[in-house]
Amino acid sequence: MTGRARARARGRPPAQTTAVPPVGAAAVQQTFPSQAPGRQQPQQPCVPPSVSAEPGGRGQHRGPVGVPQQQGRRRPEELQVTTGFQELSLADRGGRRRDLHDLGVNTRKAIEHVQESKTGSSGSIIKLATNYFRLTSRPQWALYQYHVGYNPEMEARRLRSALLFQHEKLLGITHAFDGSILLLPKRLVNKVTEVFSRTRNGEDVKITITLTNELPPSSPTCLQFYNIIFRRLLKMLNLQQIGRNYYNPDDPISIPNHRLMVWPGFTSSILQYEESVMLCVDVSHKVLRSETVLDFIYSLYYQVGEERFKEACAKELIGLVVLTKYNNRTYRIDDINWNANPRCTFRKADGTEISYVDYYKKQYNQEITDLNQPVLVSQFRKRGGTIMPGPLVLIPELCFLTGLTDKMRSDFNVMKDLAVHTRLPPEQRQREIERLIDYVRKDDNVQKELRDWGLSFDSNSLSFSGRVIQGEKIFQSGKVFDYNPQFADWSKETRGVPLISSKPLDNWLLIYTRRNYDCANTLLQNLFKVTPSMGIRMAKATMIEVDDRTEAYLRTLQQSVTPETKMVVCLLSSSRKDKYDAIKKYLCTDCPIPSQCVLARTLSKPQTVMAVATKIALQMNCKMGGELWTVDIPLKQVMIVGIDCYHDTASGKQSIAGFVASLNQMMTRWFSRCVVQSRGQELVDGLKACLQTALREWFKWNTYLPSRIVVYRDGVGDGQLSTLVNYEVPQFLDCLKSVGRDYNPKLTVIVVKKRVNTRFFAPSGTSLRNPPPGTVVDVEVTRPEWYDFFIVSQAVRVGCVAPTHYNVIYDTSKLKPDHIQRLTYKLCHMYYNWSGVVRVPAPCQYAHKLAFLVGQSIHREPNLLLSDKLYYL
Amino acid sequence: MAKNLQEEDFTRIIKFTPPLCKQRYQFIKDLVEKYKPKKVADLGCADCTLLWMLKFCSCIEVLAGLDICASVMKEKMYRLSPLPVDYLQPAERSLTVTLHHGSVAHKDPCMLGFDLVTCIELIEHLEESELRKFPEVVFGFMAPSTVVISTPNSEFNPLLPGVKLFRHPDHKFEWNRMQFQSWALEIAGQYDYSVEFTGVGHPPTGMENVGFCTQIGVFIRKYPQTGELTQSEKPAEAVYKTVFKAVYPSLKDEKYLQNAVVGEVIFTAQIIKQSLLDRLMSEHEYDDDPTERKSKFQPSVNCFSEDLGKLVVGKSMEPFVNGNAVYIPLKTIFSFPKVNRLCGTFEKLCKLIAGKVMLSSDGSAVVFNTECENEEK
Repeated sequence: MTGRARARARGRPPAQTTAVPPVGAAAVQQTFPSQAPGRQQPQQPCVPPSVSAEPGGRGQHRGPVGVPQQQGRRRPEELQVTTGFQELSLADRGGRRRDLHDLGVNTRKAIEHVQESKTGSSGSIIKLATNYFRLTSRPQWALYQYHVGYNPEMEARRLRSALLFQHEKLLGITHAFDGSILLLPKRLVNKVTEVFSRTRNGEDVKITITLTNELPPSSPTCLQFYNIIFRRLLKMLNLQQIGRNYYNPDDPISIPNHRLMVWPGFTSSILQYEESVMLCVDVSHKVLRSETVLDFIYSLYYQVGEERFKEACAKELIGLVVLTKYNNRTYRIDDINWNANPRCTFRKADGTEISYVDYYKKQYNQEITDLNQPVLVSQFRKRGGTIMPGPLVLIPELCFLTGLTDKMRSDFNVMKDLAVHTRLPPEQRQREIERLIDYVRKDDNVQKELRDWGLSFDSNSLSFSGRVIQGEKIFQSGKVFDYNPQFADWSKETRGVPLISSKPLDNWLLIYTRRNYDCANTLLQNLFKVTPSMGIRMAKATMIEVDDRTEAYLRTLQQSVTPETKMVVCLLSSSRKDKYDAIKKYLCTDCPIPSQCVLARTLSKPQTVMAVATKIALQMNCKMGGELWTVDIPLKQVMIVGIDCYHDTASGKQSIAGFVASLNQMMTRWFSRCVVQSRGQELVDGLKACLQTALREWFKWNTYLPSRIVVYRDGVGDGQLSTLVNYEVPQFLDCLKSVGRDYNPKLTVIVVKKRVNTRFFAPSGTSLRNPPPGTVVDVEVTRPEWYDFFIVSQAVRVGCVAPTHYNVIYDTSKLKPDHIQRLTYKLCHMYYNWSGVVRVPAPCQYAHKLAFLVGQSIHREPNLLLSDKLYYL
Repeated sequence: MAKNLQEEDFTRIIKFTPPLCKQRYQFIKDLVEKYKPKKVADLGCADCTLLWMLKFCSCIEVLAGLDICASVMKEKMYRLSPLPVDYLQPAERSLTVTLHHGSVAHKDPCMLGFDLVTCIELIEHLEESELRKFPEVVFGFMAPSTVVISTPNSEFNPLLPGVKLFRHPDHKFEWNRMQFQSWALEIAGQYDYSVEFTGVGHPPTGMENVGFCTQIGVFIRKYPQTGELTQSEKPAEAVYKTVFKAVYPSLKDEKYLQNAVVGEVIFTAQIIKQSLLDRLMSEHEYDDDPTERKSKFQPSVNCFSEDLGKLVVGKSMEPFVNGNAVYIPLKTIFSFPKVNRLCGTFEKLCKLIAGKVMLSSDGSAVVFNTECENEEK
């Protein structure tokens, strides 16, 4: 659930979410809608999916050379430098060639105690297979980089290229050239070679080819080059590029019930890992829709009617990525212009005005039949070097939707039908991956290309040993529990055991509609049944019947909530979001009282109603400040902070950062705040203020300040690492300094990333399984320039488990890597909405929940009176 | 000095909008629109721009490109691949695009049977020996019903800035109108074609006497196609090397047709099911959200409901609920225009969806189980 929205926003297929943790999964289907999955529409405003997703182009073969091009243009002075070229900051390149792998950020070198080793030691050894393949090159392999100069100067890249390759005999056919930088697998005889070419105008041009660099296999330029080459290979295999990944259109899986089509495909990247340069391949699925945006608009109209039609369109469509009928580009819908239609005209490059209808007819032979449809607007993007002027207009009839809408995402049946095809069990996943490698090894053209460059891939995937950390003991009211490590869940073990701290439910409201009177009673009776064993004292609720209208609920709240009210339970009859939003908004801001919304339907089944009531009782208790269980945390005086972001592009275009900080040693109580900001603003300032108040609150609770602070920072997009290192961390330090001159706590900042392509498989006999929860990997597939590790903390029932990547970007704690890893794993046990291990440390999951609630429903910072409770669960 | 000045002036004047190359391609496109050829070959296709433009012409089913330089073709050949959308919504027509590496001086059977062969700015790049063989290969061997040949008009060259001898260093010659036309007429006579001359790139006012910048000859074969003859003459050997081949998904291919039909049938059936259930529900329950649906925006949306009303008339065609199952007769589904158009006949429909869609025991209706869906929620 947590990683899903971002995954979608980046046009990633649901395969990536297959191993979504069971965080709150049970609750998801039972209580509405704070747990409703996938309602989120976040978007990293600065990471538009199609920017990097732009195919180098069917039309413009920019691929191989776009990268050096920028270096060449931006930093011509660097070209002369032979040593130190690798220091070229790749991180500061903007736009299309964003450094999605955060290549230039070396954070390990600043962390003294992990210079020698960053590996942990505890746990039992486990053999692991992965989805990584070593890239091998001939001994003494190097890529030769040349600068190509023209005299007289030639502007057009194509011309430059044509002139240069009049000398193919000299240069050979294997080359990559971007108009100024030439990469060859061989060294020319002379350092400087001069040749002459003639233009079609008969002009003679002197071309000077100067060797500027010999690139070792691991240089950043080489890495980018490998990636480009590999993409070429995928293209040769007739895979279709959509966004960043490649898909096989030959065997689509069609799901006609939902007009969906799933293309199997691959996502790949080649990077320098701990020991060697490796290719990471993962199976990816692209969900495509066999309907146009216009079809979709029509059916939406049919569903919602005139009144809410435009709003519904905006809600469902904005942020989605579309494919056009006439080229292989993806565009993100940023807006819908209802005042325009296909008959509107635009000015072509040559200055003539033409209507969209005529243009598409003439250019692509595409008929636009509905002349009254609105047009879609895709915001201006920088593409390569050229700037696209103004927003782009797209015609709904000529666009196909990709990915899932929020509505589909929350439709259980859609997700179920999809999961059948996309959630591959470990064995099958590995088989698909190996199939690609097989293709690569068997295709003659591909092999020739690789041979020409002197490269090859290992045929077997990388395998090595990881460690499985022991499961934690769960402490609850003086009792200690072990859980079955295979399931990473202790709901059975702790059933009927008193909670660490229970808040009495003695003054509370239960609001329901007439239709749900029976449900309300069922809930009440069952709560009376389940609460005593938990140690929750419960009185009969004040039962209030309301009309099934938002205003009716609100009026009742205004009239009936008193300062003594501890909890408000609203029984809702439909999953209409507006009602939920209104209730949450009122009870989180104007009238700060913990609240619990329950979808009546979840109480309709007698066989599950007890379990549902148990969940609700636990959840309400947490919301009121109760504590459920804890694990042993040996580290003293430590404050744990969790941060996650929610990006709302549909409405308001704002970002919300959720911030939570622990208040006690047992990590059972959390302080929370959130930062709401409009697009373009940096989150940093807000976070600084959050940290300040968190420290103040900590002091109130403990009468001293923490000596250690560990920040788990989630919600960092690809390529944003350097911003974090350069701005956010210094701000944290600043903030700590401002507390007092003598105050000098140890700070650790860990970037948490759920969305990674890394997969681990545990061989078991002849088959492959998911590695067990607690599996830690800190070798081979980590990055040498980082202090990073992977933990598989959750258990999944279907598909492949996705490990979570942790990158310690700042650390003055001097804690051993083993301790950081164990602390992290411990914290994954502390999320109270799920009595099991979750995918990220609890503070991240709490921060996510908070940001999600605020972003989806409240849209401003909740009342601070609630800040020491888990009201957002 | 005076001459220089004059040339300077023209450099400013001679600028074609749209660019000359685009005008040439547009000329071909217009010709395609006019003659609707099914099989088109572009000789000297270079970076495949013309082929790319032509792939959007819906009459064309076979596109071939030939060039002596493989690398220039390869550079952008992937833009001739089908787009994702071509798979999502396979076209009615079939389309195959092939690129061959070879010379126009050689005969290869893969070039037989074309309706239109274009040679845009090709002949001036040919060596004398190649040029000599060219007519026999194109007009004698390939013998398409239409051939288009374009080449620079050297009379125009003085108006072009910086052109000393030829417009491009690789040009082996550039002809004036006289030279081109006599060459063309001779070929036409020899191979039984008629030829008309035209061009693109109008000369500036006052200089009309130099003619078009690019001269074009359009050759039309005078005798009818004799398919059998070419078969017997077919040289056994293929000399061209295929560098690229793309077969576009098409409804002519059973696999894609079946997918499309199954998809459409299930989708249609679901719409019918939903509206049936809605109707039943509204009879029982108070409608939560009675929104009037009148609007200015009158898309074909309403076709669903209207079609339903119109189509579901006969008793045998009425969808019905029986226990937990909803039955939607295939006849009803078949009466929907989209399904109808895809299948053509009812028998075809039954054949295509056999085994792919859950049917009632007698095979006359699509069955949905309503129970299991609610169960899961």
